[in-house]
Amino acid sequence: MPDQGRLTEQRIPHTSPAIAPLYPPPPWKLPGVRVVKLMYETDVEPLLAWLPPKLTRSSPPYAVITIAELPETPIGPFSLAAQYLGCRAGFFIRALTLQAVTDSSMAMTALREVWGYPCRLGTVGLASHGPLKTATVGEGGAPLAALEITGAEPIEGDLVRFDPVLNLRVFPSLEEGKRHDLVQMVQIDPDYAVQTARRGKGTVEFPASGAESPWAVLPVRNIISATYCEMDTELPLARFVMPY
Amino acid sequence: MKFGIFHELSVGKPWHPRSEYEVYHNALEQVELADRLGFDQTWAVEHHFLEEYSHCSSPEVFLAAAAARTQRIRLCHGVAMVLPPFNHPARCAERAAALDIISNGRLEFGTGRSATWTELGGFRCDPDLTKEMWDEAVRAIPKMWTQDRFSWDGKYFSMPERPILPKPVQKPHPPLWVAVSSPETAIQAAERGIGCLGVSIGTPREYQKRVEDYRRVIKNCDPVGEFVNDQVNGVTFLYVDETDEEAQLWGTKLAYTFAYLAAHLVGIGSVYPTPAYKTPGLLFALRSGTQEKAPGGGGALREGMAVGSPETVIKQLKLWEELGVDRMVFIINTAEVIPQERVLRSLRLFAEHVMPALDLDAREAQRAAPSAGSLAETTMP
Repeated sequence: MPDQGRLTEQRIPHTSPAIAPLYPPPPWKLPGVRVVKLMYETDVEPLLAWLPPKLTRSSPPYAVITIAELPETPIGPFSLAAQYLGCRAGFFIRALTLQAVTDSSMAMTALREVWGYPCRLGTVGLASHGPLKTATVGEGGAPLAALEITGAEPIEGDLVRFDPVLNLRVFPSLEEGKRHDLVQMVQIDPDYAVQTARRGKGTVEFPASGAESPWAVLPVRNIISATYCEMDTELPLARFVMPY
Repeated sequence: MKFGIFHELSVGKPWHPRSEYEVYHNALEQVELADRLGFDQTWAVEHHFLEEYSHCSSPEVFLAAAAARTQRIRLCHGVAMVLPPFNHPARCAERAAALDIISNGRLEFGTGRSATWTELGGFRCDPDLTKEMWDEAVRAIPKMWTQDRFSWDGKYFSMPERPILPKPVQKPHPPLWVAVSSPETAIQAAERGIGCLGVSIGTPREYQKRVEDYRRVIKNCDPVGEFVNDQVNGVTFLYVDETDEEAQLWGTKLAYTFAYLAAHLVGIGSVYPTPAYKTPGLLFALRSGTQEKAPGGGGALREGMAVGSPETVIKQLKLWEELGVDRMVFIINTAEVIPQERVLRSLRLFAEHVMPALDLDAREAQRAAPSAGSLAETTMP
C-alpha cells in the first residue's frame, strides 16, 4: 500500500489562523469597561425579518444597543458598538447581534473570525459627565446612531443584566455563486462584574443610516431603559449552539 | 386541604376567529363542572397585552359569567391589578362589590402589581413605584367597601369624598389576597393580614420557608382590612389520568406549553434594572425551573405537581399538606393543548379519587352520595 502522510492537526502550517492568529486566543479578559446600554421597543416585522427561523420574538419585540469602551484588551484598547435583536432561543432570553462597529481593524478581524460578530470598521465614542452620558457610532464619516442618557442616578450593579449573545458565523464559500458554505449559530456567555451602574432617561437617534449599516432598520417605538455601567468582563470562547 | 382551579385563558397561535371564544367557553364549562365536583375556588387572572399567554384582561366579566353558572364555588380575582395606572382603586372596589352581590357573597379579592414590562410599559407605569402603589391601594379598597363615604389623599391617587357603591354582600368585606412570587411578598402579605396566593409554581421544598415566614409574621399583623385572612394557597399544574404514563404525557405538554408561552413575555428584571423587582416573579421562576430540569427545552414535571394517576397525585399533594398549605389551586390547561374532554375527565377523576383522600368535607359528601362512581366515565378523543 502507498505510504500515507503523517501531518497532525497540531502541525498544520503556520499560516493557519488557528495556529498563528493575528490575535491571542480567547478568553479575553476585559477590565475597566465603560458601557452605555439602551433597550427599546421596536416593530414586529423588521425584527422578524432579521431573526433566524429557530429563534422567536418576545412580546413586545425589543432591541438593544450597547456602546462600550474597552481600555485594556489583549490587542490594546478599542471600542465596540452593537445593535441586538431581543429574542428567545427556546425558553431562554438571548440577544442576536444585528450589526456591530469597532474602531480597531484588529478587533474587527478577531470579532468576526472568533466570535462571529457582523463587525465593521468605524468610529465609536463614549463620554461621561456625571449624570449625562453620550455615545455615538459612525461609519465612513456618517453618524449611524447617537445615544444620550440624562439624569443618570446610581443603582445597584447587580440589577443590570447582559443577556448571552448569539452570532452567526459565516464562512466564505468555494462554490461559485454561493455566498457561504456554512452558517453556525454561536453563543457568547460572558462573565461580568458591574462596579458602578447608573440608570437614567435614554434617547437614541439614527441620523444617517447607510444602506449597508442601517441601524434605523429597528425603529425606536418606546424606550424601555437606559443604563451606564463600569465593569470587568470578558470575551470567552464562543460555543456552538445550533446550525442555522 | 381544599382545592381550586386557576385560569389564565391562554390562546395559542395560530389564531382563528373563534380561538378566544373557544378558550373562554371551555373555561366556563370547566368552572361549572368544578363547582359540581366540590372544588371550592376558581381563580381568574387579570393580565393585559400578554399575547397567547393570557387573554384574561377583564376577569370581572369572566367571573360574572361563572357566578351565573355556579352555586357554591368561590369566585376569585387572581389577581386584580390595583395600581392606579391600570385601574383606579375605586373602580376595583366597585367591580368587586358588584361581583360579590351577583354571586351571593362568593368573592375573594386577590391583588397584584404585574411583573412584566409588557404590562407596566403598556400602561406607562413606573416599575420602581409598583410596590408602593399596591400598598396604597390595598389599604384604601377595604375602606371603600366599609365606609359610607370615602375620600383619599395619597401619594399615588387621591379623590374627594364620594360614596363608593355598591357595597359587597360579605360583611365586613370579601377576603383579601395578594399574589406571592417572592419571599419578601409572603412577609408583606402576612404583615398586612392578607391571604398568600403562592403563584411561583415551585416545589413544596421551595415554598416551605415562605409558608413558615407567613405563619410566623401574620400572628402579629396589622391588618389592612377589617379582618385577617390567614390562608395560604399554592398553585401548580393538574392532570389526572388512569396511569402515570398517560398522565405524564399530557401533563408534560401542559407544563411545557405554559412555561414556553411565559418565556416570551418580557419580565421587568430582564429589561429594566430596578430594586422593586429583585426576584424574578412567576413567569421567570418558571423559566429557571424549566432550565434546571430540561436542558434541551422544557416541560419538566417537578416535585409537587399534581400530574399522574390518582395515587401519584395524592402522594404529591400530601407534600403540600405537610407544609401547612390550606389549598392547592390548579392550572388545568393552557392554550388548549389538552383536549377539553380530557380536562373535564381529569377534574372528575380528581374529585372522585383524590379529593376524598385530602379534603374531609369531600369525603363526607362522597359518603352521602355513593353513586358518584360514574364521574370519570367519558370517552377520550
